[in-house]
Amino acid sequence: MKKVQVHPERCLGCRQCMFACAAAHSRSQEAVGALAEQPRPRARVHVAAAGRHYLGFPNRCHHCEPAPCLLACLPGAISREPATGTVMIDPDLCINCASCAMACPFGVLRYAADWTAPAAKTVAIKCDNCLDRQLAGRLPACVEACKTGALTFEESDVALERKSREVARSLAVDGERETLLPPTVALLLEMKNGLAASNDAADQ
Amino acid sequence: MKYVIIGNGIAATCALEAIRRLDSHGRLTLISDEDNLPYSRPLISHLLAGTLPAAKLPLRPPSFYDDLGVETVFGHRVDSLDPTAKTVRTTAGKTFSYDRLLIATGGDPRGLAVPGHRLPGIFFLRRLADVRQLLPLVGEGSEAVVLGGGLVGFKAAEALRCRGLRVTMVIRSPWPLALQVDEFTGRLLLDRLRQHGIRVLLGREVKEFAGRERLAKVVLDDGREISAGLAVIGKGVRPAIDFVPAASIKTNQGILVDECLQTSVADVYAAGDAAEMWDLAYQEPRVNAIWPEAAAQGLTAGRNLAGRRARYPGSLGRNVIRFFTLDLLTIGRTNPPPDGPYRQLTAAAPDGSWYRKLVLHRDRLVGAILVNRIEDGGILQAVIRQQRLLRLPPAKLLDRWSWSELWQL
Ligand SMILES: Cc1cc2nc3c(=O)[nH]c(=O)nc-3n(C[C@H](O)[C@H](O)[C@H](O)COP(=O)(O)OP(=O)(O)OC[C@H]3O[C@@H](n4cnc5c(N)ncnc54)[C@H](O)[C@@H]3O)c2cc1C
Ligand code: SF4
Repeated sequence: MKKVQVHPERCLGCRQCMFACAAAHSRSQEAVGALAEQPRPRARVHVAAAGRHYLGFPNRCHHCEPAPCLLACLPGAISREPATGTVMIDPDLCINCASCAMACPFGVLRYAADWTAPAAKTVAIKCDNCLDRQLAGRLPACVEACKTGALTFEESDVALERKSREVARSLAVDGERETLLPPTVALLLEMKNGLAASNDAADQ
Repeated sequence: MKYVIIGNGIAATCALEAIRRLDSHGRLTLISDEDNLPYSRPLISHLLAGTLPAAKLPLRPPSFYDDLGVETVFGHRVDSLDPTAKTVRTTAGKTFSYDRLLIATGGDPRGLAVPGHRLPGIFFLRRLADVRQLLPLVGEGSEAVVLGGGLVGFKAAEALRCRGLRVTMVIRSPWPLALQVDEFTGRLLLDRLRQHGIRVLLGREVKEFAGRERLAKVVLDDGREISAGLAVIGKGVRPAIDFVPAASIKTNQGILVDECLQTSVADVYAAGDAAEMWDLAYQEPRVNAIWPEAAAQGLTAGRNLAGRRARYPGSLGRNVIRFFTLDLLTIGRTNPPPDGPYRQLTAAAPDGSWYRKLVLHRDRLVGAILVNRIEDGGILQAVIRQQRLLRLPPAKLLDRWSWSELWQL
């Protein structure tokens, strides 16, 4: 199955993905209309360090399995869409309690008024893999917008998955313990270190 | 394989689902004295406040138990367990034998053994049934007393205030939520409570509940009397494990379990508010009676019951509350002893809009308090869980930071 893959080493921090994401999740679902909307459409992908080459990091929901946010959700508003494994939040059930923010090891949750919620109340928002667009045969908005290949839509990157499994294992005390946590911080630090090494090599 | 599960809270529910995913044939029996579909216990305070309808509380569809092929025995409490014969017995005298057992009985609220504690008008806030009894009494303008300044005390006070009652909180500690927060944060909470018209009495305990046929006033240890027709006790919970034979199954506060959620006796597991397991921040066994722990422990226990060796490295206390525009998130050990190997780092916005405290044990993060700007709380939780030596300067974590900043370190 195709999934959005993040290649942080290619990110230029231009934030095009954020604008495209916000527009895609707006009521009008296109950029011009989105600009005028209330409540303001929000991005589900976050890139800090804008404009600084190779320092950006497109941070989005990893649709973890098992998902810590899903286990922590008090009103049962978070579920997994079985066909794609997408972790979804039902804005109707969400009570804006922030339990998911406390659970998410990637810090991807935001809380804001959203047009999909009853009475545009404040709810938890995060990436939904653009399932509506996918159903219509379109690419996820962030992928479509990314011009540097930092966000791609492709079959799972075998190498990256192996890498994250290795890191997960290196974190475990006995080498094979099943853990409920994705490798998170360690994985990213590890990736970054690996990257720094390869960048160094490229510089020389 | 015959599985018996006691309780139908979130720990039991997650366990049932995990077992069924791995074993489609085993016989599943669920015994519980609450006879509802699994529901969101934390949401009962919203029902009390009138901010959510009862229809929002169930967490699974009505066909849930049928879909999973679970035989339910509702309305009965288990009152004895024989791990040698591998049987449990209910108060109705029915006996059930098991191959593998899960105790997911949660906790019962701690009572107050003072004169008059049985008077009508005194409640707990633990079950849906408690709220059903409370609701007819929450007329606007009447007086209520909330005993206890913990999480449930907070939620009770907030809910009753929402209903327009005049609310007094009686708290034994020097500041609210004293188990979770430091004095600075406690003062912020106190201001917020008072701003919203909740009267708070600190350092006080109840001496007596007085009234003829029903509660009329609450008498405190300093002799002060508060007239009130309604009192809610929020003095914490005690694991509901009276039926567990302590001679064979090791217990402390809760039932002691290992990282597979197994008790000291083979084939008997425990999870959730009833269980006591290794705490990653305190480095000793503790009961962490919170929802996400109950869910994760239940899931792991269920896998183990079904024969998969799954491990859960340890539990971690944590809580997040949004209380009248103040967001508060606490994780792990937030009030360490002043001496010893602990270090505390704090930072606050000049305008008071946010506050942060980190607690380090040598070079490992073991606790955090976040007031406002709580979105990255989960990252800190992951760092605490991983028990890694911090590779980045801890002060970096005090400020607002993002993955890309971490990236630059
Ligand atoms: C008002 C309120 C607000 C809360 N807010 C939060 C929050 O914001 N965040 C958070 O993390 N946690 C919160 N909690 C705590 C959270 O609800 C619990 O940690 C969680 O429900 C524990 O789940 P459990 O499955 O272990 O036990 P429980 O949900 O207590 O379920 C145990 C079940 O076992 C049954 N049972 C008990 N003894 C027996 C017996 N002997 N025989 C048969 N059946 C038995 C009980 O009837 C019950 O159905 C809150 C709790 C309350 C009451
Ligand atoms: S925990 Fe965070 S990254 Fe994982 S599924 Fe939930 S929101 Fe996505």
